[in-house]
Amino acid sequence: MKSAAFAYHAPAAVGEAAALLAAHGERARVLAGGQSLVPLMHRRIERPEHLVDLNRVAGLDRLEAGPEGLRIGATARQRQVESDPAVAARWPLLAEAIAEVAHPAIRNRGTVVGSLCNADPSAELPSAALALEGTIVAAGADGEREIPLADFFTGPGETALSRSELALELRLPAPPPRTGSAWLELARRGGDLPVAGVAAVVSLDADGRCERVRLVCANAAPVPLDCRFQAEALLGAAVDEEGAAAVGAAVAAAAGPVDDYQGSAVERRRVLAVLVRRALLLAAERAGGRS
Amino acid sequence: MQPLRSSEGSASTLVEAPGAAPLVGAPVARLDAARLLRGQGRYIADIERAGMLHACFVRSPHAHARLGAVDGAAALALEGVVAVFAAADLPHQPLLDSVRIEGLRKTPQPALASERVRFHGEPVAVVLASSRARAEDGAELVRVEYEPLAPVLDPEAAAAGAGPDLFEGGNLLYRGEIVAGDVEAAFAAADHVVSARYHGNRYAAVPMEARGCVAEHDPGSGELTLWCSTQGPHQLRRRLSQTIGLPESHVRVIAPDVGGAFGQKIPAHAEEVAIALAARAVGRPVRWIEDRLENLLAAPHAKEQLIETELALAADGTFLGLRARILGDAGAYSHNSTSALIEPYLSAGLMPGVYRIRDYRCEILAAVTNKSPVAPYRGVGWTAGHTARELLIEKAARQLGVDPAQLRRRNMVDSFPYESCTGMLYDSGSYVASLDRALAEIGYEELRREGGPPAAGQPAVGVGVSPYVEPTGWGSDGALQSRWSFASHDSVRIEIDPSGAVTAAVGTPSQGQGHETMLAQIVADGLGVELDRVRVVSGDTSGTPISTAGTRASRTAVVVGGALALAAEELRAKLERIAAYLLDAEPDQVRIEAGRFAVAGDSAREATLREVAEVAFYDPALRARLPDPSLSVSRFHDPPASYANGCVVALVAVDVETGAVTLRRLLSVEDCGTVVNPALVDGQVRGALAQGVGGALLEQVRYGADGTMLSGDLRRYKLPKATDLPAIELHHECSPSPFTVNGMKGVGESGAIAAPGAVAAAVADAVAHLGVEIESLPIDTDRIVAAAAAERS
Repeated sequence: MKSAAFAYHAPAAVGEAAALLAAHGERARVLAGGQSLVPLMHRRIERPEHLVDLNRVAGLDRLEAGPEGLRIGATARQRQVESDPAVAARWPLLAEAIAEVAHPAIRNRGTVVGSLCNADPSAELPSAALALEGTIVAAGADGEREIPLADFFTGPGETALSRSELALELRLPAPPPRTGSAWLELARRGGDLPVAGVAAVVSLDADGRCERVRLVCANAAPVPLDCRFQAEALLGAAVDEEGAAAVGAAVAAAAGPVDDYQGSAVERRRVLAVLVRRALLLAAERAGGRS
Repeated sequence: MQPLRSSEGSASTLVEAPGAAPLVGAPVARLDAARLLRGQGRYIADIERAGMLHACFVRSPHAHARLGAVDGAAALALEGVVAVFAAADLPHQPLLDSVRIEGLRKTPQPALASERVRFHGEPVAVVLASSRARAEDGAELVRVEYEPLAPVLDPEAAAAGAGPDLFEGGNLLYRGEIVAGDVEAAFAAADHVVSARYHGNRYAAVPMEARGCVAEHDPGSGELTLWCSTQGPHQLRRRLSQTIGLPESHVRVIAPDVGGAFGQKIPAHAEEVAIALAARAVGRPVRWIEDRLENLLAAPHAKEQLIETELALAADGTFLGLRARILGDAGAYSHNSTSALIEPYLSAGLMPGVYRIRDYRCEILAAVTNKSPVAPYRGVGWTAGHTARELLIEKAARQLGVDPAQLRRRNMVDSFPYESCTGMLYDSGSYVASLDRALAEIGYEELRREGGPPAAGQPAVGVGVSPYVEPTGWGSDGALQSRWSFASHDSVRIEIDPSGAVTAAVGTPSQGQGHETMLAQIVADGLGVELDRVRVVSGDTSGTPISTAGTRASRTAVVVGGALALAAEELRAKLERIAAYLLDAEPDQVRIEAGRFAVAGDSAREATLREVAEVAFYDPALRARLPDPSLSVSRFHDPPASYANGCVVALVAVDVETGAVTLRRLLSVEDCGTVVNPALVDGQVRGALAQGVGGALLEQVRYGADGTMLSGDLRRYKLPKATDLPAIELHHECSPSPFTVNGMKGVGESGAIAAPGAVAAAVADAVAHLGVEIESLPIDTDRIVAAAAAERS
């Protein structure tokens, strides 16, 4: 468990980092928190010839909450985001999901943006950030571009970033009023990747009817599974047990989970149906509680 | 000395530096704590030798294959790679299991595979290089020819003779039987017969420090030194001598600090023999530090058994007879830790447990399969058998419609000594009292009143009771009562030097249990000196007396502690005679207390231990009174068997919609006789309980259909974490052994034996309304979810 040899680069500016990625392309990997990449390097599953460390790039650790929304820089630590009062108040789904990511020692190093770039379909943050309709700001040799998360995840471990591009930050829009959210997962142990996980965001109108809903499932497909279509059956009425259960059943039918070391596809469908129902009800209850 | 704090939250007693009060029984803080916590421990990875090379093993990617040529040329071309050795380069005798049991076939295990590989991860070659990273680079380049064979993975099929033979003579290594009483008559007279099946899971011990060693050969003296993360330095010296062909006088094994072992470091490992041979062949010291992936893949596994049980009961619930069939999956070799029988044989011997069962028959089988070999792991043999029996009793209680705790209670052994039908002499115990205490502490009556199927949307709650008896303190007698003919004795030495300092030398190294402290307490009390005057040394075959078995089988306190107490008594008498000479008094008038000698009735006449030691070494006139005044006493000890007992109770909540099991409470009543250090005992009990919970809910070594490892990292081999455990509740009973020194019994394995049964019984209780039986561990929660879903629809 010793990494194969590699060249280490510690650029001080975004442009310098982008130039390194442009020069080395497929042979380079970006290091932010390193909590997924470094173990894979030690197992020689990842064998980059060049490692581009972003930790010395000034300003990338930004965490800014404003009227427009939330900006989370590429090296902002999960623990920092999780502990931020503005995040807890306005994007509680994010804090709730981060709290399930591994353990504090790992979250002290791990980054939110890094977890998105790692694009593990079973992980918490890709699903939670997609449910919050996030956008990635990427930098390449030709400048910056924005990639909505809806277009970002292209497969397990794969994203819309080119190998010469760098994810600079995640932007999350401000949620509408009377919005509640919930992250629920089944994990074999505290801190494990979930067997299945669900992010639900429900916004109610002034009369308590569901006005807007976002639902994303982790470990249900090769990418975070956007179940908005199934969830929008709830629009226009109060979210109740029956309606939420119907969405759960529809999601379980639409999901394409796999058999792996954590459980079978059959088990995952069963669990998804339950978690979707519970998450939608909990999010609606929280939305009501805030109105 | 600094004030000490007991580990027990409720008993936050400060233990000041004890004066005349006995140390045995006091929660003295660990003497090694400051050193280890400050990073001043010295483990294998801290050992550096001049010119040392680093090793990486090339391991088989196949479960079963014929082995062809091994070509290290490409690796040797790398800068920094010094040598590549395969089996043919390092001639040696293979490792063999050491037990003598009629009908058990031997399976020679080479240090490096030759001709055949028998499990995924078996070492095939070793690369020596300037760094571990470079050795790994080299290992990637070694080309090995394999001709894959069909793997044998199912122990039942192996026992039945299916699949290619791993060894000549077939894959079933042993078939035997225990017969006690007239079991057929007992079953014929039964009003109820209940039968069950249980597949005990394959565990990995996962010590925090994986295996490792440093080998150095001195061509001048011909001595081979092996620093090794081992539990048994003398046993390893013997195996090295046998395999390498050096006399034991020329093999020195040193166990420095060892970061956990749990039984996995009892055997001599093939890798250790290979490193010793490689160091001699290359003429430079060699270090091997096993990484976590290797440890999960290739270090010995543990505990897997297939068990069928059948219980005969009278109408009133009295147990009349017990039948069992136990098949142990030994993995690829009958391992040198003991043998392929280590699991099924021990399981069979203790199957009657705490219950009065006179009529018993058990068939015992052991088969080899293409998996990493099975070696001891905390609670060895007993975990699976205990769990199978307790689940059987749960099932019987449900079938008879009686309370499972009361069914147990009515059948418990309640007078001592009691000889079990398998020949174990239970010396003393609190079987009924521990059960009653556990039931009272958990609030059992109230829990049972609240029992029954859960309301909609609520978790299903269940309680499980698991009373146990545990063979501990293995001397040769204890081993024999567990049906092993096994030398399990210790010798110890206590010396006082001219400065008055005390050194106790023992052959059983600590792997983190706190032996140093516990043994020092016994020595200090025995001699009548202060704790900080005593130094305990262990783990170096060149300086410590022989321990034939090493640290295992919960034996250190009873065997080594007993030996030290006896040696201290002898040395104390000698000291008092010398002090009498110095103080011009009769020996029976002199007493030592807290390191000072006083003459009865004369407070003016006093001497320190240092003054007495000075006289012993440097006053020639003393020899007229005492021809041998040397302050060194050696003592051999091989005590009779002793049995600890207790009861573990678990309270669980099961979310039947998702299968999530929450352990709400975990409670243990422990009775290990006279307690030397309650803080250390509590640490032992807690750790074993955590490992038991892991086995019940999470841990499982898994192989794919092709025999390759599927649980080869800590994401897939799921150890319980602190966040998965409730606050553990500990209670104590005390039944001193009538047969051991000070009434001590062993401790440390009970939770690993009894907690899986408690948790499994609790889950079985919680989901009884769904008709789900627990027949294997870890609990398959999806079966519960499926049953609940079927019930709803």
